[in-house]
Amino acid sequence: MVRGLTLTDGRIELRDRDRAFRLQVDELTLAPGQAVALTGASGSGKTLLLELLGLLRAPGKGTVFLCDGKNLATLWGRGVRDADLARMRGQLFGFVPQTGALMPFLSVTENIALPQHVTGREDAAWCTALIDRLGIGDVASLMPGALSIGQRQRVAIARALAHRPPFVIADEPTAALDSDSADVVLDLLLAAAKEQDSGVILSSHDTDRVARFGIPRLALTTESQNGVVTSRLEPAPC
Amino acid sequence: MLIATLAWRDLMRDRFFLFCNVAIMVGILVPLLVLFGVKNGVYSALIGEMLADPANRQIDTQGNASFTDRDLAPLRGWPEIAFLTPKVRGQFDFMNVRAKGGRRMRPALIIPTGGGDPTLPRGTEIAGNQVAVSAQLAAQLDLDAGTELQLISQAEGRPRQLVLPVTVAVILPETATAGRAVLAPFEMLDLIEAFYDSYSLPDHGITGTRDLADRVPSYEGVRVYARGLEDVAALQARIEDHLSIGTTARTREVESLLGLGRKLNLALGLTAALAALGLGAALVLGFWSDVSRKKTVLAGIALLGIPGHTLALFPVVQALITSLAGLALSFLLYLGAGRIAGAMFGQGLPDGASLTQIPAAQGVAICLGVLVLVLGAAAVAAWSAQRLDPASVLREGS
Repeated sequence: MVRGLTLTDGRIELRDRDRAFRLQVDELTLAPGQAVALTGASGSGKTLLLELLGLLRAPGKGTVFLCDGKNLATLWGRGVRDADLARMRGQLFGFVPQTGALMPFLSVTENIALPQHVTGREDAAWCTALIDRLGIGDVASLMPGALSIGQRQRVAIARALAHRPPFVIADEPTAALDSDSADVVLDLLLAAAKEQDSGVILSSHDTDRVARFGIPRLALTTESQNGVVTSRLEPAPC
Repeated sequence: MLIATLAWRDLMRDRFFLFCNVAIMVGILVPLLVLFGVKNGVYSALIGEMLADPANRQIDTQGNASFTDRDLAPLRGWPEIAFLTPKVRGQFDFMNVRAKGGRRMRPALIIPTGGGDPTLPRGTEIAGNQVAVSAQLAAQLDLDAGTELQLISQAEGRPRQLVLPVTVAVILPETATAGRAVLAPFEMLDLIEAFYDSYSLPDHGITGTRDLADRVPSYEGVRVYARGLEDVAALQARIEDHLSIGTTARTREVESLLGLGRKLNLALGLTAALAALGLGAALVLGFWSDVSRKKTVLAGIALLGIPGHTLALFPVVQALITSLAGLALSFLLYLGAGRIAGAMFGQGLPDGASLTQIPAAQGVAICLGVLVLVLGAAAVAAWSAQRLDPASVLREGS
């Protein structure tokens, strides 16, 4: 099992004609099986940080991104479309996008099994266990189009965990749900991830819910100076 | 292969768009196939009619010249010549013909022949004492294959006529040779000419004024059959140039038909090129817009760890399936349209000829051409797919 993630001197700078956005992470460490929530105002760079952690965004110079002693930042050296980078992303992470992003042409069961096929970690029994655990057995043969938003998010969680990744990245996983459903889905995500010792990095606006679930919180705070918005990651009180 | 399975499943879910792309292909391919088939059918019927008459490939020297074996020897190595025989002098090529023991006698033209003569039925071999007989002469003298004949010289004022006993090897069809004609090995005509030139022919009881051993063979000209219709014009010119003699051939008719074929091919080629341009543009935009429409799905696949170069196969696989479906349906509709067109307009064609024809080799070439066009169109979509940013699933969903 992977020991953990450590991001040191994380830097990303986005710039257009007259604006600039700078994300700075001095240090972020995620222990195996640990859950952490990224909070912050809209535009504070939560998704950008998730992209950086999920090998979806090239880090700036000087960034050190260690996982099992390997600096993942070097994977970007061969370009954004490097096959090893993509494979490493599949191996290390499971993703729960805000909208589920399920394959509309595959059934629930097939969607959940898809990461196993991609990573070569076939385990039908584990898929079935996840389906049962997330309470989606009665819709397992349906296509995503026939599901409610809450059911889709449960399927997305099951899919993110299906190949037993060390880490799950969830971007506002409950934003599209009503309050009760959001609690259920978040609870399932955290519990299912804990069962298989997967770490969870989630972003959320909902600091109350994050606090209620006791998830350690890291806040992105921004300051603007001379047209440059700088966002920094800082520990936040629970 | 996982990406192929995903592409197939997605295509089956989006059947409507598959039908749209197939309909675009069918709408362009079927009229082209029918045009191409009709051009092939009509043209090959015309060519078939022309090929059925070997006279269309015949080149005959004109006038009385005198050639030696040495003059004619180079022609025997020309690859465009299917059959060649020297000719004796024109005034010596008529003989009287009658069946052995028969009373009826008819004058007939004696034509030199030999193995490979296109006038003869394929595979016919004429031995030294055998002849082929035209249909008209056979009818007039009641001849059959195996009948024994006598070829009798028409030389007047000779103390004794030349009588050559021969056997009918084959009766020629009416289309092969018009009128009364006997096709005999060249040696027989050479013998007849020697007789007219007053050489002694002791084997036939002829005493002449000259000894046959002193005779140097000399030929009036040649009768040549070109290997193909395309060879006739050039071969005629080459023979005239080599022998410095005029020739007759049906070059104008042959060239006229071949020219028609070339013009039809050019017209069809230009039409096909324009259609391919339109089909290519439609497919490029179709496949590209498909990738654009499925951007989230494709980025979602990439998010799971599938590299860009593998993701690029997604639209390529779909294009391949689309093109195979389009080709299959196009050829099916072409066959149906060909049958209808044949029933409506095919009455004037020779028996067994089809109004629309696409030989297997041409069909395979068309399929390969379409596949190349479709895969070329899909390459643009593939390039677009492999550039998709998997992060867009997170960014655009939030």
